[in-house]
Parts: sequence; structure tokens; C-alpha cells
Amino acid sequence: MIFNEICEVIYNKEIAKNIFEAKLLSDKISKSTKPGQFVNILPSIEFGNVMRRPMSLSHQDSESINIIYKSIGDGTRTMKGWKKGEKIDIIGPLGNYWNINHNKELILLAGGVGIAPILNLYNKIKDNRKTNLFIGARDRNEHFLKHDENNDIYLSTDDGSYGIKGNLFNALQKVFSTKDLQDKVMYVCGPAIMMEVVSKFALKNNIECFLALETIMACGIGICQGCTLETNKNSNNKEHSYRSKYELVCMDGPIFNAKEIKTCLL
Amino acid sequence: MLALKLKDIIFKNPIMVASGTFGYGNEASDVVDLSKFGGIITKSVTRYPREGNPPPRICEVSSGMLNSIGLANVGVEDYVQEKIPFLNKINSNVIINIAGTKVEDYIETLEILETASGNHVGYEINISCPNVKEGGLEFGVSSKLTKSLTKELRLRTKKLLIMKLSPNVTSISEIAQAAQEGGADAVSAINTLVGMAIDINSRKPKLSTNLGGLSGPCIKPVALANIFKLYKSLDIPIIGIGGISNDRDVLEFLLAGASLVQLGTINYKYPNLVASIPQAMEEYFNLNDINDINEIIGALRLDD
Repeated sequence: MIFNEICEVIYNKEIAKNIFEAKLLSDKISKSTKPGQFVNILPSIEFGNVMRRPMSLSHQDSESINIIYKSIGDGTRTMKGWKKGEKIDIIGPLGNYWNINHNKELILLAGGVGIAPILNLYNKIKDNRKTNLFIGARDRNEHFLKHDENNDIYLSTDDGSYGIKGNLFNALQKVFSTKDLQDKVMYVCGPAIMMEVVSKFALKNNIECFLALETIMACGIGICQGCTLETNKNSNNKEHSYRSKYELVCMDGPIFNAKEIKTCLL
Repeated sequence: MLALKLKDIIFKNPIMVASGTFGYGNEASDVVDLSKFGGIITKSVTRYPREGNPPPRICEVSSGMLNSIGLANVGVEDYVQEKIPFLNKINSNVIINIAGTKVEDYIETLEILETASGNHVGYEINISCPNVKEGGLEFGVSSKLTKSLTKELRLRTKKLLIMKLSPNVTSISEIAQAAQEGGADAVSAINTLVGMAIDINSRKPKLSTNLGGLSGPCIKPVALANIFKLYKSLDIPIIGIGGISNDRDVLEFLLAGASLVQLGTINYKYPNLVASIPQAMEEYFNLNDINDINEIIGALRLDD
């Protein structure tokens, strides 16, 4: 079931350099969301653009939802200005969710704002399952968690100003050998180029890997057919994507098994 | 007071959804009460299934968007099996949009739909999709082809026959008159305008097909001008499409001469906009002493 809810902002704050977290009251979306799913947000009533902004949830409980976003475009610049009490029009929950139907150790990789769906999964599973969290950023100002190897939390920075120096993939390779990774499952979300590197590495080394993809969407509910992705599945899914060659990121994703897709570079 | 008749079909209000912006109706049924619409135009169906164009297929532009979906659809045979049963349950007028690249395809698609046990009240014929290479647009730019296609289809159905017109022509009135002469019950206008957007960093077009169809609020003035021209030159009703975003826009289209309208791109942003428009229109009618929607259609005041 998809809901169109008016959600009141509980808080909206900068948690790292130009990275914001907002918490909103939600009665229905909150109760039916699973980690990995997203919502489609109308940044404001006056918003002049024709498309809502799809955002993965970073957290949900019985009465609220959280998002984490970087202020970079028309939508997120508007969202940055949200005040406590403001009413926001949101559609969700949308898309599929992380598949954790196994007993293997988890490797979570989050680059940039890809952190939202990864954190959501991390907080759900970390107490029950051995889970390693990797978060990459350009520099220390973009991080809001602590590098804590004892608790399997690894932060990296491109400039070496905090945690492990290098990109997310470098950090992963510094902590785990390829052989170590082969009995684990990877969950990845971040910049397309990072996901492409990790995805190709996983495929080459036969490591199970799930990716939360991001692309432009007009509707988020399978109508506009705009967010297509070429897959290897030949699924003949006529329900939303009408054919075998393409799937829709909004309905069939946003999460795909690395084995199923041709590329992350959408 | 919002109800009106087109041929022998009653529309409870003039608000319909444009083809391609509401799928086959089932996708948004969680968040939208489809029975509020005067009519639903379903996504274009073609004789055979179509994969559609490679990504990227859409991009955002100032007050609008470009799309190049390429008529991705299941094909008419699966459509009859899989989509008609849901459409039959909708408490609103269903109009099936048909697209094609040659005359036989349009005819066969319509014939198959005529024999299906659908409750649809009519067909909207897409002769103006800008995103299909094989030449769907050729019909829409030629008066001769438009007239002969309309005639062929008219021979085969008693249901509403609506020809959907392209703005990407020298004279939309000529094409519309050809549709009228061919026996169309109405025309709908406008389909998208040809547009383009470029990523200056990659230096690539933002759509895989380079050019796409421009829609959204940015095309409303162009659409209105076309409705205005059509109203002066046609006897059959006009269905107005193009950038409608609220009740005031609907009223503008009615004043320019449209009998019914279609909401398109705005559905993505506000899927349930139809829930509020009819009431707002009724308030305008009350305020202006309008008892019947027909009083306002084409009621534009022009200086002599």
C-alpha cells in the first residue's frame, strides 16, 4: 500500500558540512516502510519544478520517518529551509527493500548521501548479526559518525583528514582481503561510479552484492516509465515495466542484485 | 453543473488524465480515487509490444520536463488480457489511446479492442508522438494521412473517436479539419513539443534519443494558443491538453474553447489533484452565475 501523507517536520538540522537530517511525523508511511525503501517528497507547496524528490529513509519508527540529504539542487536547497512544524507532502513507501534473507556476515558500504538506506539497514540488523559499516566522504567535515574499528565502523576520507585515507573501496580493501569477503554479503549505496567499481569487483570475485541505485524519477510509482534500467534478468515483468529488457528503478528497485544489472552508471 | 456530454457519452466533469501520465489506472489506485475523474485516457497501446527507448528517458527543465519513453507498452493482445479487466472496474469513462506506425497497425489494434469485452467509451488516436523513429508523427503532420486514417477507424467503431494532434506542424487547424472531415468526434491537443536539453559537463544530450517531448506548465501558453485557433476553425469539440496545473488553468482552457481537458505532467507531482479541482471550479461557477459548463466553453471575450 502506498500513502500520500502530509508530514509535519519535527526537526531539520545540519549534521555535517552541507548534510542535513530531517525527522517528520508520519502515521502511515512510518509503519509500513522497510529499510531500503524510499519516499517521494514535494519540497514545498510553491516548488516550481515538476518532479518530486525521491529520498531513501534513514530511519522509521511507529510515528516518524527520517531522511538524510545533501543540499545540492533545487529540491534539497528548498528542503534545507524546512522549519519545525512545517507540513510536507510525501508519497511512500516506494520500491523494494534490502534482502537480508541469509545468515551471512554483512558489509555495508555508504558513500556520500548514500548513507540513508545503509544506516537504516545497519540500525535494524547490527544487534543481531555481525555487521561492518563503511562510510566514505571527501573530508572529515562531511562525517557525522565516529570511526570505531572495535565496533566495526570504518570511516574513510579522500584527503585522509579522518579515519582511513582513500575512497570507500580503498578502505574496504584495507580492512578485508578479497578472500575474507567471499563468505559475506555486501550492501552498497553511494555515487554511481563508486557503486560501479564495487559491483564489478563483487562480480569478478563472486561476492554477493546488493546495490541501492539512484536515478531521475518523475512519478516514483511505475507510471511514467522514465527511470528504466537495463537488466540481465529477462524477467518478462509486465506489471510495471511492460517488457523484458528494461526494469524500473522505482518499482523493481531501487535495490538490485549486482548480478542482475548491466551498469550502475544510469 | 460540471457534467457534459460528448456525442452520447456523459462526463461527470471535464477533468481527464492524459495518456501516459496515469499508466493503465491501477498503478496509482492506492493514492487516487479514479472515480473522481471525468475520464481516464490510458497509456498508448500498439499492435505489438514495444520495449521503448533506452535510458535516460526523462529530464527536468524549467517548469517542465522532457520525455522520450518511446511508447513502451505490452501490445494490444496482452492489453486485452491483462489491463482491460482492471479498467472495467473503474467508475469513470475509460478512453483507450492507440498509437502506431502504419495504418494497418492502427486498424488491427482498434479491431482487437472492439472485440474485447471492455467498457471503454472511446479511443484517442495518437498520431503525434515525437519519440518514435518509424514515423508515428508522419500521420500527424499530414492532412491527407490524418483524414484517411480517421476514415478507416471511423468505419470500424461507433465509440468516441478522438484524434490527438501535434503542435509540431505548420497549421494545426488544417490537420484538425482533416480529422473532422474523416469523421472524428473530437480532437485533443496538444501533444508534447519537440525539445532538447544538454549536459554541459559531458556535452551530451540529456535524453538517449537527443530530442524528446516537452510537457508541463511551460507549454501552457502554447497549448492555449492552439486551442484558441482550433476553436475558430472546428465544429467538433476540442479536448485541451498542455501544462494544466490547477482549476484556474482548466477554466482558461474552457474559455479558449476546450470542452474537456486532460491533466498530464502535473499528475506526477500531485497524483490526486483531481480531488480538489471540481470543487474549486464549482465555486467559480457560483461566483459568476454559471449554471452549465457549456456556458463557459469558448466564452472568451474578444474585442472586435
